Amino acid sequence: MSNILLEVKDLKKYYKVPKGMLHAVDGVSFDLEKGKTLGIVGESGCGKTTIGRTILRLVEPTSGSVIFDGVDIPKLNTQEMRHMRQNMQLIFQDPFSSLNPRKTITQTIEEPIILANMIPDPDKRFMRVMELMDTVGLAERLVNTYPHELDGGRRQRIGIARALAMNPKFIICDEPVSALDVSIQAQILNLMKKIQREMGLTYIFITHNLSVVNHFSDDIAVMYLGRLIEKAPSEILFTNPAHPYTQALLSAIPVPRIHNRPERLLLRGEITSPINPEPICRFANRCNCAVPICSKEEPGLIEIEPNHFVACHLVGRA
Amino acid sequence: MESKKMNEQENTLEIRNLVIHYISDEEVVKAVNGVDIIIKAGKTLGLVGETGAGKTTTALSILNLVPEPQGKILSGEILLEGRSVLTMSELELEEIRGDKVAMIFQDPMTSLNPVHTVGAQIAESIEIHRKVSKEEALKQAKEMLELVGIPGERSNEYPYQFSGGMKQRVVIAIALTCSPDLLIADEPTTALDVTIQAQVLKLINELRRKYHMSMLMITHDLGIVAEVCDEVSIAYAGRIVEHGTLEDIFDNLRHPYTKGLFDALPDIEIRRSELKPIKGLMPDPTNLPSGCPFHPRCDYVMEVCSQSLPENKWLSETHCVQCHLYKDTNESRL
Repeated sequence: MSNILLEVKDLKKYYKVPKGMLHAVDGVSFDLEKGKTLGIVGESGCGKTTIGRTILRLVEPTSGSVIFDGVDIPKLNTQEMRHMRQNMQLIFQDPFSSLNPRKTITQTIEEPIILANMIPDPDKRFMRVMELMDTVGLAERLVNTYPHELDGGRRQRIGIARALAMNPKFIICDEPVSALDVSIQAQILNLMKKIQREMGLTYIFITHNLSVVNHFSDDIAVMYLGRLIEKAPSEILFTNPAHPYTQALLSAIPVPRIHNRPERLLLRGEITSPINPEPICRFANRCNCAVPICSKEEPGLIEIEPNHFVACHLVGRA
Repeated sequence: MESKKMNEQENTLEIRNLVIHYISDEEVVKAVNGVDIIIKAGKTLGLVGETGAGKTTTALSILNLVPEPQGKILSGEILLEGRSVLTMSELELEEIRGDKVAMIFQDPMTSLNPVHTVGAQIAESIEIHRKVSKEEALKQAKEMLELVGIPGERSNEYPYQFSGGMKQRVVIAIALTCSPDLLIADEPTTALDVTIQAQVLKLINELRRKYHMSMLMITHDLGIVAEVCDEVSIAYAGRIVEHGTLEDIFDNLRHPYTKGLFDALPDIEIRRSELKPIKGLMPDPTNLPSGCPFHPRCDYVMEVCSQSLPENKWLSETHCVQCHLYKDTNESRL
């Protein structure tokens, strides 16, 4: 049972905006086992990035608990949190803006090591940086280069090396490959998988790209307007999606082949506002199979088969 | 009507041996190095390639919009319905831009003017090209909005009041106001979410059939190509390394780079433990490799590849490849 590394319970993050309360993340719960990858998918504004940041307390949650390795993260004080962050790292989306342009590769990678005072001896620290660069496949000759001299793929490798510098147990990857070309994207995904295998890392992989997340994750959580609407092991989610939104999302992916093209379920309208949402199904106004109850009550998350959770009024009813 | 136009085999766009370099004091960026493109009337060509393949520079050159003074069209010919674009005066170009040829840019957030209403932005090109009064132009602008699925009464609103998908619909409305013969779409859905992308692609598909437009669709997504294009050109380092119909490229691909592109994609239906990336990196356009620009990354490299550039080899009437593997054979060697 103690195999659970991360337990998120009823996590909420609301922002106060002039028109009311913006429900960025609204009551999300999930567990994540050690060494596994949870993919979080959804479209812009569904709260996927906010979840990641709230777990790391880069933004403070409004309510709810995040239990990491038995410790309730939101209850830690600044000092304890600083220590805890060594275990939990973040890889950012944009390798162009997440690196300091005035720092060389070496300086960027060794910065967290210096801040945590992990390796005080400069020579040993440099050895560690070289080791990290080797792990992520950066050539030794690049030690003194600056980010602007490197392409997107190499920059993202720096971001990964920086995240690994603390020997973390857990990394949140927020769209780590969406700024990269496909040929480079595959290199980075393979690298992240290899590192996970070798170091026993646990990942949360946040993305809007469903084919990447299927390839990468053990479990997938689908979000819509701050709510988790479906969660299942990857194979099940892709072969037997239960929520109408998940079905539409999967069918919207352009498939790179010209025969046997799948039928497309086109959604009408666009995502509605996350400000002061009513307590009804948030997807109801775009849903192709909405029934009257959908605009009266908010559906709860129910388990329809082992490990397959869905929040939809139509599922589990005759 | 449609078949008659097809029979004439007229080409909306013909680009021959286009070479464009960006020249500054320090370096020469060889962006486009001999591109040939033909788009037949009413057809859609997909121009596929990764960052730095020269896709956008090629697109800009069609309206003679390559940024000056660094951008230099060194050689080549661009014929728009038989007329040479490169010899046109600025006045002639202005008449064509937005009228005969329209462009949709990648990012709808930056391609609209934030201080004008969307109605006024659509009306602007109607006023210029159709020589009608402001009132009439605004009225037509409302109809265009309806056409792309936005209620006409929203024409008095500003871009910030629209979502990303709706902004891109506005950009499409602007592009289509003068029913162009050629629509250039530069990654039109890259900045959009997948469900919205699906809506926008459907809209583009419907409208181009309705108006019998030719289209140049620039994208890096082979899924989008399969959905909207008739023919495909695969670009690498400023060259078209393979060209053909959808069947040629998706069922009978010949070039090692095209194969690499397909192999690197995660397959949504088959989970593999490992993806197959193309080794190495895109070449630096200021310092291209000798011979075939793909040879340092190619799994099928031969001695000749680093020594000479492969020429266009036509494998069939529709399928063309630039690769030394096909010097004396038409059979696949991959």
